[in-house]
Amino acid sequence: MKPGEVNLGTSLMAVTFKGGIVIGADTRTTSGPYIVNRVTDKLTPIHDRIFACRSGSAADTQAIADIVRLYSEMYSVNFGEDPTIRTAAALFHDICYQNKNALSAGIIVAGWDKYEGGSVYCIPLGGSLHKQPFATAGSGSTYVYGYCDKNFRENMTQQEAVDFVKNGIALSISRDGSSGGCIRIATITEAGVDKIFIPGDQVPTFWNKS
Amino acid sequence: MDYNGGTVLAMAGKNCVVVGSDKRLGVQNLTVSTEFQKVFPVTEKCYIALPGLATDVQTLSELFRLKCNMYKLREEREIEPLTLANMISSTLYGRRFGPYFCEPIIAGLDKNNKPHIYGMDLIGCLNYPDDFTVAGCAEAALFGMCESLWEPDLEPDELFETASQALLSAADRNSLVGWGAVIHTM
Repeated sequence: MKPGEVNLGTSLMAVTFKGGIVIGADTRTTSGPYIVNRVTDKLTPIHDRIFACRSGSAADTQAIADIVRLYSEMYSVNFGEDPTIRTAAALFHDICYQNKNALSAGIIVAGWDKYEGGSVYCIPLGGSLHKQPFATAGSGSTYVYGYCDKNFRENMTQQEAVDFVKNGIALSISRDGSSGGCIRIATITEAGVDKIFIPGDQVPTFWNKS
Repeated sequence: MDYNGGTVLAMAGKNCVVVGSDKRLGVQNLTVSTEFQKVFPVTEKCYIALPGLATDVQTLSELFRLKCNMYKLREEREIEPLTLANMISSTLYGRRFGPYFCEPIIAGLDKNNKPHIYGMDLIGCLNYPDDFTVAGCAEAALFGMCESLWEPDLEPDELFETASQALLSAADRNSLVGWGAVIHTM
């Protein structure tokens, strides 16, 4: 990060459930300690049922997402059907790996397609690609490894998955200074994308007294 | 000053003062506590607010508690705000070349109930404002908020509201500040 560069401090989660995926993020963008945007949308649409969750340098991840969105649109024109999540993730992976020395980007690609159903792909800093049942990313993710390992189950219902993500992000926010503000959640299924916004005063709270 | 986080402010009104702080204690971007005290009573009518490195916040609060208690025993009266400010200033300058990383703020009423607020830098340079004084991580944001919200001769309830809104809004724009706020009105 260069001085003055804007950072998506961030807590991100993505989880598969029976029927699709749920993704969630906090809404804080920082430049050093200063909060540049406290209502950021870090869940970026790439295609109709493909989203990318962005963490790391805001500029880098925006630029990469714009390129992959272009390629995804062209894919539909050239091949006559929507790209799969695996394809979109591969496009992200290629850019992140080939430019690993210049980029500071931790991205989760998630969505629904007709071949695999819901899938989650995590691309951490070095540009490796990992298909996982659930993934976390961003500086706040380190505080919820235990929570996620304990509470994740395969084939949850949609509501269980939303609660899992909401609580995970809320826990990250409560410990990570670079994460905060509100929570944005998106559910992606065959039916489409459903975005939920949880304002700051409705974020779940946990034990925090000395 | 950016290691543990935290910010404080003090404002003067009509025969009253307020002093307030946030409640966060962190280690860089990890939040460790949401109940960390930064405003300490010195006498019934005088409070000090200590933002900055948390270890110095605690050490200085205990040091000034000692010094004020000794003052009371020797002088057989409570310390006045201006005297306390000068005492704190001398203490900090005593460590001129290895300073405490703390920028104290003093707020209180003197024996005639006239409002006093003072601020200083980490090596004891005193500031004698008649409106407000700010310190800590979000001081830049607080300057903007106080400059626009403060007006002279506010009553205690209005002064409390003004200080609260300034502190909360400034805290919302700094990732090392927040997790609640405390305001003391005198």
